[in-house]
Amino acid sequence: MSIKILELSDDGMYLKILIEDFPKEFVNSLRRIILAEVPTMAIEDVWIVKNSSPLYDEMLAHRLGLIPLTTDLESYVLPEECECKGEGCPMCQVAFTLEKQGDEHNIMVYSTDLKSEDEKIQVAAKIPIVKLNAGQSIILEAYAKLGKGITHAKWQPVGTCAYKYMPEINLRTDLCEMCEECVNQCPRHILEIVNEPFHSIAINDIENCTMCKICEEVCEFGAINISWHDDVFIFTIESTGALPALKILNTAIEILRNKAKNLLTKIEENVE
Amino acid sequence: MIIPIRCFTCGKIIADKWEIYEERVKNGEHPKDVLDSLGIKRICCRRMFISFRDLLDEISRFEQTPK
Repeated sequence: MSIKILELSDDGMYLKILIEDFPKEFVNSLRRIILAEVPTMAIEDVWIVKNSSPLYDEMLAHRLGLIPLTTDLESYVLPEECECKGEGCPMCQVAFTLEKQGDEHNIMVYSTDLKSEDEKIQVAAKIPIVKLNAGQSIILEAYAKLGKGITHAKWQPVGTCAYKYMPEINLRTDLCEMCEECVNQCPRHILEIVNEPFHSIAINDIENCTMCKICEEVCEFGAINISWHDDVFIFTIESTGALPALKILNTAIEILRNKAKNLLTKIEENVE
Repeated sequence: MIIPIRCFTCGKIIADKWEIYEERVKNGEHPKDVLDSLGIKRICCRRMFISFRDLLDEISRFEQTPK
């Protein structure tokens, strides 16, 4: 098995890796754990003291819930695992306050106006929440808790987490008549005409191929064939900003390991 | 009404890029180029931008303001 990082963005929120010789069941279980089980912070309870904005209380609370918060997995625990049994204590929740008054200039309320009780838990993006006219105001208190994507999508650490097989393009130079139809039709511009060392079709950026098989269909001579490697994957993690992509992957692997360990101990108990 | 925080289909955070998009399109740039430079690659997120009209200002005029 080998892993190669194809792309890691400067802020660490986007990760693209190439996984070779690894069972697809494991890659899929990793994907599913990232989507459903990696805990992140999100606003769960909102106490609205005053809301005369154009949005209803429910809409406002929903918008607040979807804001990504930078998560510190070391200092917080899930409410159901907390000593307070989910009633709310400094170990499992963070309070945010928001107070904003509108004036004649139509003030936009941003997620950055939320004041956090804990410096480590902050909003990850400057998101417009609502616009306030003259005379309108918002006063509210919000409580963020750790949660899992299986309960609600707001707790998913990723926008997109997906993998695909590594595409493989087979060019039969003995059948190719150089009609260039496949080069013109490819929506991702992967195929290219090259004159060095001889006049032929070259494959540009194979990772970008979506395996749409348009090139295969337009080729009258059957000179091009699209297939894929069964055990080579391109795995993409696109974080919402809550956790860095590498941290998400590490946490997911840790969760998978614990699951396997739990299963083994359960089996051993029953054997005895 | 107001820009949705996440893409309906994939869940990518889009609301933080809306104001930049709106500003640049108003200044005459083509939406395609703006979306490309903002890193909105997928069609699901792109349609969120090009099909959205901000109606919050219209609605807030009819909202009851407290005395």
